Order: sequence, then C-alpha cells, then structure tokens
Amino acid sequence: MLGFVISRLLQAIVVVFAMSIIVFVGVYAIGNPIDVMIDPGATAEIRENLIRQYGLDQPLWRQYFTFLSNVVQGDLGQSMVYNTSVTGLVFSRLPATLELVFVAITIATVIGIPAGVYAGYRPNSFAAKTIMALSILGFSVPTFWIGMLLIMGFAVELGWLPSGGRGDVGTLFGISTSLATANGWSHVILPALNLSLFKMGLLIRLSRAGMVEAMQTDYVKFARAQGLPDRQIVLRHVLRNISIPIVTVFGLELGSTLAFAVVTESVFNWPGVGKLIIDSILQLDRPVMVTYLILVVILFVIINFTVDIVYARLDPRVRLGGSR
Amino acid sequence: MFRHTFNTGVATALLLSLAPAAYSQELVIGLRAGPDSIDPHWSTLGSQAEALRHIYDTLVDVDETLQLKPGLAESWEPIDDTTWDFKLREGVTFHDGTPFTAEDVKFSIERIPEVTGPMSMTLYTKYVDSVEVIDDYTLRVKTKGIAPALPNDFTRLFVVPSETGEGVGNEEFNAGDAAIGTGPYRFVSWEPKGDLVLERYEDHWRGKTPWERVVRKEIPDDAARVAALRSGQVDLINYVPATDYVSMKNNSEVETFISDSVYILNVQPSVKDEEPQPIRVNGEEVEGNPLQDLRVRKALDLAINRDVLVNVVLEGLGTPANQLMPEGFFGYTNELGEREYDIEQARALLADAGYPDGFEVDFTCTNNRVPGDAVVCEALAQMWSRLGLTVNAQALNGTVFFPAAAKEEYTMAMSAWGTLTGEAAYTYGAMIHSKDPEKGFGNFNRTGYSNPEFDEVFVRGTQTLDPEERRKIYEEASLIAMEDRALIPTVILQSVWAANADKLTFTPRVDQETRAYEISPVGEQ
Repeated sequence: MLGFVISRLLQAIVVVFAMSIIVFVGVYAIGNPIDVMIDPGATAEIRENLIRQYGLDQPLWRQYFTFLSNVVQGDLGQSMVYNTSVTGLVFSRLPATLELVFVAITIATVIGIPAGVYAGYRPNSFAAKTIMALSILGFSVPTFWIGMLLIMGFAVELGWLPSGGRGDVGTLFGISTSLATANGWSHVILPALNLSLFKMGLLIRLSRAGMVEAMQTDYVKFARAQGLPDRQIVLRHVLRNISIPIVTVFGLELGSTLAFAVVTESVFNWPGVGKLIIDSILQLDRPVMVTYLILVVILFVIINFTVDIVYARLDPRVRLGGSR
Repeated sequence: MFRHTFNTGVATALLLSLAPAAYSQELVIGLRAGPDSIDPHWSTLGSQAEALRHIYDTLVDVDETLQLKPGLAESWEPIDDTTWDFKLREGVTFHDGTPFTAEDVKFSIERIPEVTGPMSMTLYTKYVDSVEVIDDYTLRVKTKGIAPALPNDFTRLFVVPSETGEGVGNEEFNAGDAAIGTGPYRFVSWEPKGDLVLERYEDHWRGKTPWERVVRKEIPDDAARVAALRSGQVDLINYVPATDYVSMKNNSEVETFISDSVYILNVQPSVKDEEPQPIRVNGEEVEGNPLQDLRVRKALDLAINRDVLVNVVLEGLGTPANQLMPEGFFGYTNELGEREYDIEQARALLADAGYPDGFEVDFTCTNNRVPGDAVVCEALAQMWSRLGLTVNAQALNGTVFFPAAAKEEYTMAMSAWGTLTGEAAYTYGAMIHSKDPEKGFGNFNRTGYSNPEFDEVFVRGTQTLDPEERRKIYEEASLIAMEDRALIPTVILQSVWAANADKLTFTPRVDQETRAYEISPVGEQ
C-alpha cells in the first residue's frame, strides 16, 4: 500500500509540474496582459515601464523560472488586478464554492442513487420510466438555461427565494459559512439545485444500469433461491457490487463541480472561485490563472487518489494490482 | 401572483409617498463591474473611478456630458505657459474630521507613481513636473511643457489625506483603515467582486445626499442583474441588455433611463504599405494595400447603413456616428453632416480604385467588450458583401483581441473607443496622430495612418492654452481626420439603466457612471 501511495504522489508532482508549464506557455501565447489592462490614454513610456515592472519583457523561460523559484519559496505571487496575494484571494473565495458544491452533491446523491436503484429494481414500472425521463432532462438541458428558469420561477414570479448572491454568513463549527443561517440557506438552495441536476441525472443512470445488470447475475439468483429477502440482497450485496463505477464518477464529478461551477456561479452571482477564475482569464491576470489551475490539478490528483483508496477497500483485486 | 405583487407595490408606494423621508434610506444598486481596490490611486479603470467617487472627491469634477465643473478645486487658471494655479474649496473635511488643505492634494499627486498598478494612474499626472503649496487653499502645479488639458486630467485626481503616509497600499485601503476621503459616503465594507457598502457622510460640502446607506452589488452576468432587479433584490441596475430593454419598455413596474455613451464603434483600416493580413482578389494576394486608397475607404464608409445598424442590429440602442466623439464634446465639429448610405456610389468608387469585383479581406473585432460589438461586426461584414467584398468577419474575446491588436496584426479591425475625458486631444493624440513614442502620441494608432497636416494642426492645439481657440483647432482636426477616413466611425452606443418604477429618478451620464448621490428618490427632488 505504501508503494502505491508513493508512486501516486510522484505522478502527482509530475502532473502539477507539467501543468504549470502548459498554463504558462498558453497564457504567454495569448499575449501581454498589459495590452488587455492598460488604459487607452496611456503613453508608450507608461506602457514600457509597466511591462518592465511586471517582468513581461523577459523571455518566457526566465519568467517561468522566476515564477518557479518564487513558488519554491512559498510565494505564488500577487494578483495583477487586485494586488493582493493570489493564495489569499483564492482561499477567500473557496468557502463559497465549497458550500455550494457540498449542498449540490448531497442533493444529487440523496435523491439520485435511491431513485436510480429503484428504477433499476423495477425497470418497467411507471415510476421508473418517469425517473429515467427526468434524468435525461437533467443532463441534456444546459445548466445556465435551467438556472434562468429556476430564477424566473422561484425568484421573479413567486418571490420565494432570492435571485442570487450569497446571503448572510454565520459560523458553524468554527467555519464561516452561509449554511449557518436561514438567510444563507435561502440563497444557496437554488444554485445548489441547479448545480446538482446534471450529477443527479448521471447518478440515476449509473445506478440504474448497475442495478439492472446485477439483478440478473448468478449471485442474486442464488441468493433469491436461498430465500433471502430482496431488501437484504440489494442493500448488502448488490449495492456493494455496483458502487465501483459510482464512486469513480462521483469522484470525478466532485472535482469538476468544484473546479468548474463557473456557469452556475455566474448565473446566480455566487462569489466563488469559478467566477474569480473567469474574471481573471478575461483580464489575463496571469498569477491568478496559473495558481488556480495548479490548485485544480492538485485537487483532481487528491480526488483520484482518494477514489483509488476507496476502490481498494471495495475491491481487493485493485489493491493487489496497484502494489505490484 | 404578479398582479398581486404589483398592487401591493402601488399601495406601498402610495403609503410611502406620504412619508418619503422614512423610505428613502437605503439604495441597492446592481452593477456590471465594481472596483478592483479601495485605493483610489491603484487603477484608471472606469468602474474603479465610478465606485471610489463615492468615498473620495476629485480636484475637478465633470457633469453628465463630461464638461468640467468645480470639485475640490473651486477654480483654476494658467499663470503662464507651464504653470497652473488651483484655488481650493474651504471648509471641507475628511471623514475622520481633519480639514482638507493643499497639502493633501500635493500628497495625493506625489503618491500616484508609488502605488499604481497595471492600469497606471500616472496617465493623469504625466504632465505634472512639480507641485507647490502656496497656502492652505492655493496649489501651484508646474507642468512639463504646455499642458492645456491638465484640469481634464485632474478629473481623476482623487484626494486622500496627507496623514495616510507612505507605504500604505491596497490592503490597508481594502480593510477600511486607510479608506478616508472627503466624499459624500463613508466606506463600510468591500470584498473583491462583491458588495461595496457605504454610509452617508453627514458633513459633505455638497450637502447631504438622500440615501443613508448605499450597497453597490457587483453582478457581472447580464441575465443575473436583470433577475436581481425583477425579484426586487436591487433598486437599480446598469448595462441593461438590448433584449431585456425591449421587454422592459412594456412593463409598468420597471422604468428605464437611456443615454448616449462615450463609446463609438470604429472601423480601423490598416493603411500600411503592407497590410498585416493579406487582401486577395480571386484567391491571389494583391499588390500593395487597397486600403491605402482613399476611394476604397470612402466606399467602405458609404456602404455602411447606419440607420439599419441602430434600428435593427442594436434594437434602437444607438445613434449614427459621424466622427470620433459624440456631439457637444470639446472638439466635435458641426461642419460634418450625417453620413450617407449610397451603395451605388460606393461600388463606383471601388471600381474606380481598380476593384470592380471587390476583394477578400479579414475583419476582426471584439465580442465581449461593449454591448452589441459582435452583432455590429457581423452586420458590417454583410453590408460590405453587398458592395461585392468577401469579408471574413471574426469576433474575438477581448483577451485575445487586444494583445494581437497591440501587435498590429489586423488588416481591418473594429473596436470601441470612448473619449473619456470629453475632449478631442485624448482621442486624436492616441489614435490619429502619427506614431511618435518620443512625444507620446499615436500609441493606439494601429492603422499606420500618418498625415503631416493633421499632426501639425493637432500639435498646435496641444500648445494653445486659450480654450476657445483650442476648440476651433480641434474642430479643424476633426474635419481632416474624417475627410481622410483615418478611422470609420459607425455607431455611438447607448447605455440603459433600469429601476423599479416609482422609487428613484436620475439623469443618466455619458460616461455611464452610476453615482448614488446624483440619484434622488421620487417625490423628494
């Protein structure tokens, strides 16, 4: 197991390193951030000074190594737009995104998996067909459009919930989050629902497919022949067997939701990292872009790593293969 | 449900109109962009200035059509060619109670180069050579050369107290410790891309503003901003998209305010000897650059149907442009008539120039810079195809467009330009004057246009202190540049605000600023 962990860690470092180069080259190819930011009335002298001040006149490799040596010293740089530390900026926005994703994933799991399991257990029932039809809607209709519909319905027409923003922030177990206040919940519920729909559809379809397949396998037939009640068969045996693909997808989806909740955050004006990165891209705020993308890579590495460990728990064959 | 809310709304409005003072306490505004910092000397960004104006005053102010008016300075005059005297307002205090004096202005000017960021504020102090305090209420500025536009530059000179001290930057300002100005509102709180919360400063020299508390919410997404207004979360929004404007016109719950903006979409034909992207006839690259021929540029101009651009493409939210500035700006000439649309004459000119069957050209523009840029771009391509050209229109994100435009990689481009200072020198010096890094002219001249006659007239303007004389010189410059089609202006964009009906009223500004202290509650004017 230890060897497994070490080799994964080494892989992770290589990935992060490669990613930083790709991002750097990519941003460099787009061009000089000063040309995006600079005021139209600025003189050539002002422009030249700025380019020098931010080290943008240096060749790419030197800029990259300056960046790298700063990172090694624990300094990810200052945002060009806000002139505050990039890590501070990203981490000040992270709680907002985390709570949104947490609620969304919870909604998706709590509704999606039981609904999918049921749809797979009684595939021909009316309820199952309804669930499947809705799940198709869940991941085929664009997120921003559903988001707008939710806002039009619940915020504009009915006036039940606010149309956007984060609401009051309270403290829960020492973490400041809007999940601690009723007003905060009223703000989080619509965007979280919006964000959860795609994942819910996915989880429904995955668990249904697994369920349908599993119910026809020999071990279920044996169990039934033995006289075990269906309830016990499903909960104790089938669920465990169909959970591997679900865990994989869940992990990947968790990552992509965290990293790319951009659309929902924009539509609902949620002050999370997704919006921060979009703004930074539009202004070519290089330090923020690089830092954020690297954090995303680290995030995915951690998630995949966790998923692998969970696999290994669920299915010993994975563990054996991995340690070899 | 809708009707119900509406009726309640009317009832409340009626009730409250009996006691307007009680209801006009808080104003919540939804804006497309907010500040990047609370340090007023960090960035020249328009949204930054707009927000910080509430906390800090500028030395010189501008009215809604960008004409100069007194701010912290009551008057100003040139003493000689390189000296300006500013007479300051007496009895003004900062939010912490300290009186405002000339020392604070001197400190603010000298602080700018130390703390400014990538959108450098040194732009507004580039003519300042030295600053001298004559007495508490008189400031003398020595300039580098003749600087007739110095008062215009000082419309962005935010004043902070000299007690601020050196080495104080964005962090201290953002936290609120250093956020002290003489403006109509005190700073309460702010977070990047979030809400800016302000409370009224009771002792402001302009008198009390109607709103005790103002919350400026940053909502960049157009649809989200409109939804926030419709659901009653905010009282007023700016940058209403054209599509929503059409539906709001028929909605009695919402009131809209429209104004011309300073932004004009200009076509920029490269007139260099060799065009950056090849122009082709029947797939063959042509010799020389067809756009160098004035007849071709005139043909392009004549083929633009500006009425269609305004009424169809922009849903009515624009005005045809005939020069690089809106009417009334310093240097706008009345001698240019409306631009004609004459496709026959355009074809004839093109044939005359040797391209009876047109040519193939790339045309690049932005798609996220200002409302309507991408649609106008596509419409222009279609209009020119009626002329017989093959136009490869490409609308790009500003992040990609601007760096490439700065490297002058486009043969024909279009982007928005705003004469933000309200006077011609800003626009002509940057875009029309020949490139001259020594003098600091032509930094945004990406077409290679160079006309010694224009340069001579323009430079004469920059050396003339008498405003009336200077105005005439710039009007002459306008004529030359437009006669030459140095750039081809198409439409002036308009901006739209929307508010819940019966709550507030204000006069929209051409610089698109939303100033809370210029908004008055209905029934309390």
